[in-house]
Amino acid sequence: MAENVGDLVVETTRLTKIYQNRQIALNDVSLRIERGWVLGLLGPNGAGKTTFLRLCLGLHRPTAGFVKVFGKKMTPNAAVLRRRIGYIPTNPQFPKGMTPISYLDYMARLFGLPRDVRKPRLASLIRAVDLLAGSGNTIAGFSNGMTARLAVAASLINEPDLLIWDEPTLGLDIEARRSMLDLIKTLAREKTLILSSHNLSDIDEVCNHAAVLSQGKLIFSGSLQDLKGRIRKNHYELDLDGDQKAIAKAVSTLKGHNEVKAAQLRQRRLDLRLNEEAPNTAVLGHVFHVLNENKVTLISIRSVGQQTEQAFLDLVEKEESKGFTRLYQPAEAA
Amino acid sequence: MDTPATIPIPRYHRWLPFWAVLQTDLRQTLRSWVWRTWVLAVVSSSIGFLLYRFGVYREAKILQGASVLVGDLMRWTVLGSVTLVVLLTVGAIASERGTLADAVLSRGISRYQYFLAKLHARLATVLVTFVVLSALVLTSSHFLLHEDLSMLGCLVAVTAMAVILTLVVSCGVTIGALSGSTAVGVGVLWLSLYASGFVLSFLPARYPTPDRVLAMLPQILRGEFDWLALKQMMQVGLVSSAVMALVGMIGFSRSDV
Repeated sequence: MAENVGDLVVETTRLTKIYQNRQIALNDVSLRIERGWVLGLLGPNGAGKTTFLRLCLGLHRPTAGFVKVFGKKMTPNAAVLRRRIGYIPTNPQFPKGMTPISYLDYMARLFGLPRDVRKPRLASLIRAVDLLAGSGNTIAGFSNGMTARLAVAASLINEPDLLIWDEPTLGLDIEARRSMLDLIKTLAREKTLILSSHNLSDIDEVCNHAAVLSQGKLIFSGSLQDLKGRIRKNHYELDLDGDQKAIAKAVSTLKGHNEVKAAQLRQRRLDLRLNEEAPNTAVLGHVFHVLNENKVTLISIRSVGQQTEQAFLDLVEKEESKGFTRLYQPAEAA
Repeated sequence: MDTPATIPIPRYHRWLPFWAVLQTDLRQTLRSWVWRTWVLAVVSSSIGFLLYRFGVYREAKILQGASVLVGDLMRWTVLGSVTLVVLLTVGAIASERGTLADAVLSRGISRYQYFLAKLHARLATVLVTFVVLSALVLTSSHFLLHEDLSMLGCLVAVTAMAVILTLVVSCGVTIGALSGSTAVGVGVLWLSLYASGFVLSFLPARYPTPDRVLAMLPQILRGEFDWLALKQMMQVGLVSSAVMALVGMIGFSRSDV
């Protein structure tokens, strides 16, 4: 936790957004984001992720609660706070008649940057995001990848301390996605980032903290390790080699072990589920011993499921299964 | 963590975002089909009207008073312009709803600055266009028609028309900022203008309502006018315009985009 208020980059308190008394987009969200965090904002479609980000930017006004950014309350007129934020929306749209140079110049002027600062900076950014060749062309003819790169440049033109990127890898090809993730890792060394994404492997790769929203409610916030710690443990897949009868015999032996919940053989792949509370190292030691006794070779072993994804799914499933008891149980969010 | 998150804020110009939006909007408006149609319609109708009257004078020797002709021309120009001015002003903010938040308002500009920049850009476009076109018509009439215009009368007439247009622009930008779409905004503004005109027609005859001022234009152009009444109309128009702008600015700053 932050030791003093200065460490908090974003702080939301009982943040609630109800649209025209018809739709509850966000429900009582209290979240603290500290300096240096790379926060992955997770949640199914309609969970309230974009609403949360828009409230943080002052584009929407909270129905109840408030957002503080850099220790000050965010409002639609808080231009001073937004000067320290770089934002990429989902599917960014740009004025089609502008060129990258004129667009970035416009963005820089919207941040109040004087000519002697903005001109060199936009030139560096255009070079950095590899748009030099297309810098004289209008944005109308840009591909998704080029548009994404321009959005990155626009979000960095003011050298922000906080970056809010809403699904930055959406619609990018493999190469562009890889470049984006590498850029995020580089930026994470000196900036605070909030990333909303459906792609959990991206979050897993670049984030050190996560917040999970479900139906407008914050159901988890904490480190990524904490999130992963909540997954269903002790589910493994083993690729085996050796005599088929020997493998079958080993599996049969394993099924008799108290701590083995299920052992299912498909061809030469063993799907092994251990009891939740079992110390996995001890049981796996026994598994290796049995395989060795039966002269079965282990080719590979892996923990089943993409860990963050599994943890996320578990959380959402658990939240939904609570039903009406949610009324009386405090949220698990920190 | 011991070090605070406060990092020195870089140097910036407080009103640069205002100027950026103002300049961009002026450029966009002058390229728009609405503005070009307006100018083209006014210029062509004025040329046609003046030449027709000039022809009547040359061929039939029917003497035409410049004040009557220019008054007619200005009245119909204003009434005809209002249709396009309504479109031009309501669309200032409403037409950008799709990209406004992501492209502009998420940057370092306040809602107040954005609204004021849009309002001033549209005001400048409409008023400068109107004044320039009126000046051209008045100059042409000086050479083509029987001169009975007074310099002061012309100034007062153009100023009075400009005040009416200022009020229309303020209402348009405000309604555009508060409504969800341009079509709805245009509908609301038209209804409001008709309703206001209807209500004002019940005022006693001594009050120079906008439609009465339009009807009195020939006299005003000749310099025959009640200055106090006109001054009162202009004051009320400017104050109403300022109030509308204030309502729009506050309403826009409190809305979700």
